[in-house]
Amino acid sequence: MTILEKARAGEITAEMIYVAQKEGIDPELIRQGVAAGEIVILMSSRPNINPVAVGKGLFTKVSASVGMYEVDDTIAGEMAKIDQAVKAKADTLMDLSVRGPIDEMREKVLATVDRPVGTLPLYQTLAVAQEKYGTALDMTADDMFAMMEKHAADGVSFLALHCGTTMDVINRAKEEGRIDPLVSYGGSHLIGWMVHNHCENPFFTQYDRVLEICKKYDVVLSFADGMRPGCIADSLDGAQVHELVILGGLVKKARAAGVQVMVKGPGHVPLDQIQTTVSLQKQLCGGAPYFVFGCLPTDSGAGMDHVTGAIGGAIASYYGADFLCYVTPAEHIGMPSADDVYLGVMASRIAAHAGDVGKGHPAAIAWDLEMSHARRELNWGRQMELAIDTETATKVWKDRSTNFESECSMCGDFCAMKIVGKYLRDENQEARN
Amino acid sequence: MTQMLKARQGKITEEMEMVAISEGFTPEFIRAGVAAGRIVIPKNKLRNRTKICGIGGGLDVKVNGLMGTSGDRDDMEMEVKKLKIIEDAGAHGFMDLSMGEDIDTMRTMSLRNSNIAAGCVPVYQAAKEATEKRGLMVNMTSDDLFDVVEKQCQAGMDFMAVHSALNMDVLNILKKSGRVADVVSRGGSLLTGWMFHNDKENPLYAEFDRLLEILKATDTVLSIGDAIRPGANADSLDQAHLRGLMVAGELTKRALAAGVQVMVEGPGHVPLNHIPSAMLLQKRLCFDVPYYILGFLATDVAPGYDNISGAIGGAFAGMHGADFLCYLTPAEHLGLPNEEDVRIGVETTRIAANAANVLKRGGAAWNRDLAMSRARVSRNQEEQVKNAINQANLIAALAAQKPSHGCAVCADSKCPADVAAEFFGIA
Repeated sequence: MTILEKARAGEITAEMIYVAQKEGIDPELIRQGVAAGEIVILMSSRPNINPVAVGKGLFTKVSASVGMYEVDDTIAGEMAKIDQAVKAKADTLMDLSVRGPIDEMREKVLATVDRPVGTLPLYQTLAVAQEKYGTALDMTADDMFAMMEKHAADGVSFLALHCGTTMDVINRAKEEGRIDPLVSYGGSHLIGWMVHNHCENPFFTQYDRVLEICKKYDVVLSFADGMRPGCIADSLDGAQVHELVILGGLVKKARAAGVQVMVKGPGHVPLDQIQTTVSLQKQLCGGAPYFVFGCLPTDSGAGMDHVTGAIGGAIASYYGADFLCYVTPAEHIGMPSADDVYLGVMASRIAAHAGDVGKGHPAAIAWDLEMSHARRELNWGRQMELAIDTETATKVWKDRSTNFESECSMCGDFCAMKIVGKYLRDENQEARN
Repeated sequence: MTQMLKARQGKITEEMEMVAISEGFTPEFIRAGVAAGRIVIPKNKLRNRTKICGIGGGLDVKVNGLMGTSGDRDDMEMEVKKLKIIEDAGAHGFMDLSMGEDIDTMRTMSLRNSNIAAGCVPVYQAAKEATEKRGLMVNMTSDDLFDVVEKQCQAGMDFMAVHSALNMDVLNILKKSGRVADVVSRGGSLLTGWMFHNDKENPLYAEFDRLLEILKATDTVLSIGDAIRPGANADSLDQAHLRGLMVAGELTKRALAAGVQVMVEGPGHVPLNHIPSAMLLQKRLCFDVPYYILGFLATDVAPGYDNISGAIGGAFAGMHGADFLCYLTPAEHLGLPNEEDVRIGVETTRIAANAANVLKRGGAAWNRDLAMSRARVSRNQEEQVKNAINQANLIAALAAQKPSHGCAVCADSKCPADVAAEFFGIA
């Protein structure tokens, strides 16, 4: 039985208990969420990997992606990025290697980390087909499923698959004159393969095979969005919505098969469309967790797109997105360095937390409140402890201030907290009590 | 006569024309906005400069940077450097918040070394000088305060944060209702101390007409300081904050009646779920005058990254009608920002402003995003740099990238993504 089937049967598994404790909620609520498909638990056959839950009522999670892409990328180089992502407390990792010793890389990641790992098996399928046939265009459907099963068997926790990128969707994008129809790397290659071979997407036509593999290994199916908008002008266009409608149908089938499923989302979305984007996904996909890439509310933030992504991610989380794929300062420019990875995770974590505060998550609100009390008391040790990034906060404080006992250098002797504390503290304390 | 009084007489000034051109509106639209108080144009009569911007309803969201000496770090050359960074990074205004040794000289240097709207907070200098002259800040007199206001207006300040919306009523409500972080505004706290100590009403409130007269003489925009702004998410939209906003509204009405250009300052720490209400309340209670916000900070727990917390809240507030975003730097809550912090602060806040500005379909920001996207599709890097919000930052980031060979998985054979590109007609 899969964890979804067990949840439906009323069973509270060890994974549910583990994540419930992490989230600070009753395991029964986790069970209900999993049974309803509103929560998924990312887990692995690997004993070193601890489960993480994603979905309604839980902390918004953050995922960081790495992977060998350039000719000279190495496993060691990517592992250094993983170290930074872990240090910055990404909840999950994705290995999106497209070249090099991909098997070895995946094995290294899975053997090293203590949190769920996701992959996009099509990438490796393309690379292997290129070697085997001399062109990735000759890749077969069997190759695609074999690779998918290999990743599942290895202990990958969630598999990103473009199940909803069908011929209909592609033709709609073409007819509509999408500005940027090729945003998703996997989606673009899959579309090229489909067009070249005059063949419908095998992940769609043979969806039962997808579900069989997911069920066998109890791996979470993570729908990738081939029609993710790559600029705000394309947001919520026919192609995107069409794909989402198809994915909604596939969510239903996955659940019927006992397979946990979540849906990946955009991408570039103007601020005034974020709420609608999330609502549409929730409505069309039966409340399945939404895993958004960003969202990026402007196209022209290149060089600082971790900020652009934090803005959109926070607001998406506030409106109900459950899982944020990080965006690094290298987005739209090149591949992130280890430092970029760290900054990307931090920016996304701030976004996730701001969303959680907005949603009214009690623990998120309590954290903010504790920090505010520490500030009022000018208790710097506590402020540093409570900071989302203690190391960076401490570094900036030590460098930009001169007095470390009381007020900081921003206002010096004219510190508001200090001055008003003298006059208001006692009386105000009474009001609070 | 102030821009507002001229606008009410039907006159379109040179400044209104400049704003109209840069924003893509008719001069008449700007004139009507200034006449009604929806738009302000910070431009002191006595200060000559060429970069003029309008702030307010219908216009693009603008960005403000902060600089100034502090008792702990008193290096005027360094502050001039920061000011140049602020202007070069694309801020539309700055505030000189100096409290160091020689505030007058610093101000002269700030005004001389900038071509964007200049603002300041007179209560800082008044408090500092009272400490020196009268031993204690609480010995400051009402004349001390207004003398500084007048001196700063005459020096050429284009806008001025004056904490008039803090009165005994507000403090009484604060005392009764309690708060986590009582008063986090520096000017607000100085006045609070003064009022409690002297058991007297805030002169900037009690003698508000006197203030208006001074500002009117130089057409300095009154920015009603948010003395009682929430400094913690837990305090957002509480009794004290709302009472302060209502007092600001009452004073706004008087400023409008006197023909003094006015905007209202806002928080501070505001959780995302409060932002639409916080914006609506300000617009409603303050007669639709521009809202100048510090943040909003959408969370309290990110010191070291508060440029990002502020960008999150600032963008969302911009979508809901905020007009002017005061930047936050990574040093917020930790110390005095250095040059790098200042640059990052402006760049981050400009992204937040742009995220709000692109919502005007067909406007300049929207068109730039479109041009950027087309440049991306055609892989034209030069065009991408040209359309980036922070060009210098992007150029540096591109230079730091290691040379890329792209994906190159397919080597000499046909890449499926290229087939897809041909299919869509974008190859």
